[in-house]
Amino acid sequence: MISAMKNLRQNRAAGYASAVLGIAAVTAALAPFAGGEVINSTTVALALLLIVLFVATGWGSRPAIVAAVLGVLCFNFFFLPPTGTLTIEDPQNWIALAAFLMTAMIAGQLSSRARRRAEEAEAGRREIERLYGELRDAFERASHAEALRQSEQLKSALLDAVTHDLRTPLTSIKVSVTTLLREGQANGEVPVVFDQEARREMLEVIDEEADRLNHFIEGLVELARIEAGELQLRRRWGAVDEILVAALARAEPLVRRHRIVTEVDDELPVVRVDARAVAEVIYTLLDNAAKYSPPGTVVRVSAARAGDEMIEIAVADQGRGIAPELRERVFDKFFRVAPDTATRQPKGIGMGLAIARGIIEAHGGRIWIDDAATGQGTRVVFTLPIGDNDEP
Amino acid sequence: MSSDRRRILVVDDEAQITRVLRRSLETHGYDVRVAADGESALDVFNDWPPDLVVTDLSMPGVDGIELCRRLRARSELPIIVLSVRGEEQTKVQALDAGADDYVTKPFGMDELLARIRAALRRAPAPTGSDEAVTLIEAGDFRADLAAHQITVRGEEVRLTPKEFDLLVYFLQHAGKVLTHRTLLSAIWGGNFVEQTEYLRVFVGQLRKKIEPDPSRPVYILTEPWVGYRFNSEA
Repeated sequence: MISAMKNLRQNRAAGYASAVLGIAAVTAALAPFAGGEVINSTTVALALLLIVLFVATGWGSRPAIVAAVLGVLCFNFFFLPPTGTLTIEDPQNWIALAAFLMTAMIAGQLSSRARRRAEEAEAGRREIERLYGELRDAFERASHAEALRQSEQLKSALLDAVTHDLRTPLTSIKVSVTTLLREGQANGEVPVVFDQEARREMLEVIDEEADRLNHFIEGLVELARIEAGELQLRRRWGAVDEILVAALARAEPLVRRHRIVTEVDDELPVVRVDARAVAEVIYTLLDNAAKYSPPGTVVRVSAARAGDEMIEIAVADQGRGIAPELRERVFDKFFRVAPDTATRQPKGIGMGLAIARGIIEAHGGRIWIDDAATGQGTRVVFTLPIGDNDEP
Repeated sequence: MSSDRRRILVVDDEAQITRVLRRSLETHGYDVRVAADGESALDVFNDWPPDLVVTDLSMPGVDGIELCRRLRARSELPIIVLSVRGEEQTKVQALDAGADDYVTKPFGMDELLARIRAALRRAPAPTGSDEAVTLIEAGDFRADLAAHQITVRGEEVRLTPKEFDLLVYFLQHAGKVLTHRTLLSAIWGGNFVEQTEYLRVFVGQLRKKIEPDPSRPVYILTEPWVGYRFNSEA
């Protein structure tokens, strides 16, 4: 506040100084020619008027009035005959002097008003800018809060998915174990009788569900590693068909009830990839194909060259297919397509495709869901760069 | 032999759970069918009327709550729902939709078997069209509806009309989990279903009059966040 007032005062002083100096300079420059043929009084009046206008534009009306009055005095003293006095001989010059004074005052007023308007407009613009900034900050804060809320919702959905995946196998295990523990005990109205087959089935369920829990936890660890960017690829040169054979051998118990057809290009180059990780991806795709397509149908595994630098591997089934709007979402962690209840397959853990995408993208490839060639079923395709020796 | 066995329909979309429940219940002398979702459960229900249904709550298509509603529209058979901790609201909805009891996953088989036995023992709730029942005798309780008299363990207790109504309702639904909403609607009418504090006050008064130790109730048991369960025997 104080500094603003100081500024204003300095400004005004500069205005008066300019008024005095400007008028003095014009007078000094033109005075030697006064009364001669070179310059007439109109030229002098216009030159002085120019100073008044400058001062008005720069410093407002008061310094302009000072400039106008000074201008009148100088004009009268130095240029209107009889020069060197403040008297005027010719009545016509009175009119000229009055006209000069009025023109100077009005012009000064107008230009200082214009200057004020400009300042007001500038202040308005600054105010709008400030409001806009505040509004933008408020929007940012609001959208930040919204993002937080959504992330909280997501977290709770993830927690639900995780707890469901842990609790379901635990329930099967607990039911089996508590049933087995009852053996040999009298139970209310009905004596507990176990046959060999029943005991075996209970134990099988415990075994399978323990594996499922372990598989789930391994998935969580792998996913956490991918998300933290700590996936360590061990790239070696290797043949694509060897990777396929390894994945198919591992998936054999899962796809036993399907017909597997493999189509591998003869001319496939060797690739520089982490064979174990890529085999894991193919295994996941085979597992999904078996889960989401009826037994007896064909699961087609193909590998081909895609341009100069990539190869393309695909697994296609003849199941229900995935709706186009879900084809991106199935790669999100814990997202699951509801299984076909008729096939009675256990649900997946909702992490396979998320992990697969992590592995493929870490290799510099891409994974997506295509329309199966037959028009039904799901075809998951991924590409891998062939690689070169220069890479680390 | 098989015709003596009580029939249980188990509904869950998790194949391993239906597999193990079928095996375990068969071992305990029940005749069991399984279904993976609400629709197929209703199909099984039509072909093979069970004595009791055990159903999961979250299933694709017709879920557990809808299944309870549809089964209840056709039958008075006992329904036990399998719920998950953290799904209290769903559990209450299922009970309001007609389920009789619930078990929280993961559960031990003893707990489920006890609930099944209790539910099968329970007679279907009397309907309004039946001949007027004037005397209810259950466990430690004897209620003379015409004379508005209640005796507990052989001793008469004096109850206000609302306490009497509440106790009679409990006796008629002994062993079953009754939600706050169900009790409020039955005793006070539909406008009072949100007034759980009424219920808390009346249950407190009733406990003082009938429980041997009101601070450790044995007849009117609290089901946290859900409602109450009445046992007619200590």
